[in-house]
Amino acid sequence: MGSYRWNWPILLADPYYGWIVSGFGNTCLIAVLAWIIAFPLGSAIGIARTTELRPLRFAGTAYVEVFRNIPLLAQMFLWYFVVPELLPQDWGRWVKRDMPYPQFLTSVLCLGLYTASRVAEQVRSGLEAIPRGQHHAGLAMGLTPAQVYRYVRLPVAFRIIIPSLTSDFLGVFKNSSLALTIGVLELTSQARQIEEYTFAAFEAFATATLLYCAVTGIVILAMRQVERRTRIPGTIAIGTQ
Amino acid sequence: MIELKNVSKWYGAFRVLDDCSLRIAKGEVVVICGPSGSGKSTLIKCMNGLEPFTRGEVTIDGISVGARDTQLPKLRARIGMVFQNFELFPHMSAAANITLAQLKVLGRDRATAQAKTDALLARMGLADHAAKFPAQLSGGQQQRVAIARALAMDPIAMLFDEPTSALDPEMITEVLDVMVGLAEEGMTMAVVTHEMGFARKVADRVVFMDEGAIIEDAATAAFFGTPRSERAQHFLSKILQH
Amino acid sequence: MEGGFDFAILIRNAPFLWGGMVLTLQLTGLAVAGGLALGLVLAVLRLSRIPFVPALVAGYVNFLRSMPLILAIFWFYTLIPKLTGQSVSSFYSVLIAFILFEAAYYSEIIRAGISSVRRGQIAAALALGLSNAQAMRYVVLPQAIRTMIPVLLTQSIVMLQDTSLVYVVGLRDFLTTADIVAGRDSRPVELYMFVALTFLVVCFSASRLVNRLRRRYAL
Repeated sequence: MGSYRWNWPILLADPYYGWIVSGFGNTCLIAVLAWIIAFPLGSAIGIARTTELRPLRFAGTAYVEVFRNIPLLAQMFLWYFVVPELLPQDWGRWVKRDMPYPQFLTSVLCLGLYTASRVAEQVRSGLEAIPRGQHHAGLAMGLTPAQVYRYVRLPVAFRIIIPSLTSDFLGVFKNSSLALTIGVLELTSQARQIEEYTFAAFEAFATATLLYCAVTGIVILAMRQVERRTRIPGTIAIGTQ
Repeated sequence: MIELKNVSKWYGAFRVLDDCSLRIAKGEVVVICGPSGSGKSTLIKCMNGLEPFTRGEVTIDGISVGARDTQLPKLRARIGMVFQNFELFPHMSAAANITLAQLKVLGRDRATAQAKTDALLARMGLADHAAKFPAQLSGGQQQRVAIARALAMDPIAMLFDEPTSALDPEMITEVLDVMVGLAEEGMTMAVVTHEMGFARKVADRVVFMDEGAIIEDAATAAFFGTPRSERAQHFLSKILQH
Repeated sequence: MEGGFDFAILIRNAPFLWGGMVLTLQLTGLAVAGGLALGLVLAVLRLSRIPFVPALVAGYVNFLRSMPLILAIFWFYTLIPKLTGQSVSSFYSVLIAFILFEAAYYSEIIRAGISSVRRGQIAAALALGLSNAQAMRYVVLPQAIRTMIPVLLTQSIVMLQDTSLVYVVGLRDFLTTADIVAGRDSRPVELYMFVALTFLVVCFSASRLVNRLRRRYAL
């Protein structure tokens, strides 16, 4: 280790600086876009699992079980290599030849659908944490089941699960690194590439690590604010992480 | 007003309600009592369809609760219900709890609903607490907000499911006082409770349940004077001992 | 797709794929054992009252939990040979990365399990005259373990899936061997589907089992 020659300035040199910036940008973009898929879809699936309708509950459970019991990397390969082969011929050809940013979009879709299964579990557990009496009270005053979800159960459930949703968002942010396996140049792969070109392994990895930690810290602080703002007066916030 | 005909309910092989029949006329106050697990809560929740039942018929104002084409939300909007654990919505202020269903179910405009809410809070002696959240109120205050929430719908009848069981002793009176007031105004009420003082004071009839069945249904004076069944006598002797 | 499905390819390559599966299982087993041991130490240190130690442990745990596992794998894959000055097999570099990484997650689960036992229980145990250690041994841990074990097992199932990430350093686990066959014979559909289904069956059955355990031993 003593013989290691530190070379921090190289990270500011062309083109490595640009690589890190674009890698970081891609990482953030993938995470945010995947979350835009995961949050509404996951919420819908989580709600489906708490309804009285058996087919809906079954479909929700099946979705969650399939997505969380296959390694994310295998899912990435399925979406990228297998699904285009199984699509009707015209679609498959379009995906393989004409779809713009194929690797990028595939990783967004893959991460979004996978993260939806995690969000669904959080939403379900949040809804199940609410005493049944609340549901009854809503119905007893004449609200429809949908209105009970909208005005009574969901507002409380989402408050309860802010901390777990935060860690799921950080999860998709970290998991975006898997996009490198199908060739997306995000933060981790750019760090790896710099290491290969310059042998400045520690500098490159340390920078990437620092950026991941910084975003994690910022997100946690921001979500604490959200939690404080939405806290129900008279109750104690659960606290993020 | 409220009529139950031969209502039975099974959970698998376990019978929760056993052929219960009961009539509550307009303006009547009926107290339902019995040992825990006797099915009283289930019975009262059948009245507004919160608990589905296996057999029999429940009608409110001539409308069948169990019928497939009955619009349960509409029916429930006309029947107020008060729960053992208050069940105020924790993320809404006291006023918002009372206003919610007026806006979303009755479709009142905000000003009308707000006026109604203010009047009810004042009547409950809670005008200063309108902006507070449930967790900032005492149990007795929460239960009075819950009663106001039910009354805001101008119900034709009120169901009370052990409204004072979760309260500290010193708060029971403030809730019972409100209920006595309602009874004296002529509100139709079904009340599951162990408060025999309340029953004596305002109930027209007392219904005694055990093991899912209605054992006794008698005028209040008769019930307390000479309960016919041994089980009711036994229950009364235990509950009135202290 | 040309020529339809060719599932015979799985049979032809069974020994090779099985070799990958063995590596996956070895890596998972060793990482779970090492991660649990280190995680327990971390949890105890974090709940201790030794000055600075809980904060240090919290720092370690939060640091590792904000890093993607792939990056951790790259770190150790490059770092360990340089640190030790000799070439270490990539299996061991990766194993160390997994142990250190998983320990952070396990320690949080163990800590949460211990903290989940209500304070009144400790008070009651002490009131009976039990010592601190006895209260921990007879009252707190038996309750904590019941809440902890299912979560630890679930985390281990996640870990089994995560071992597939060794693909990025070319270690021949189950997924990587399948990937090699898929590339060599141009049969991605059969191979990746086979990997996905195998994991699905194994992990789904395992999580069912965990659920049953949870229900049977729930307090």
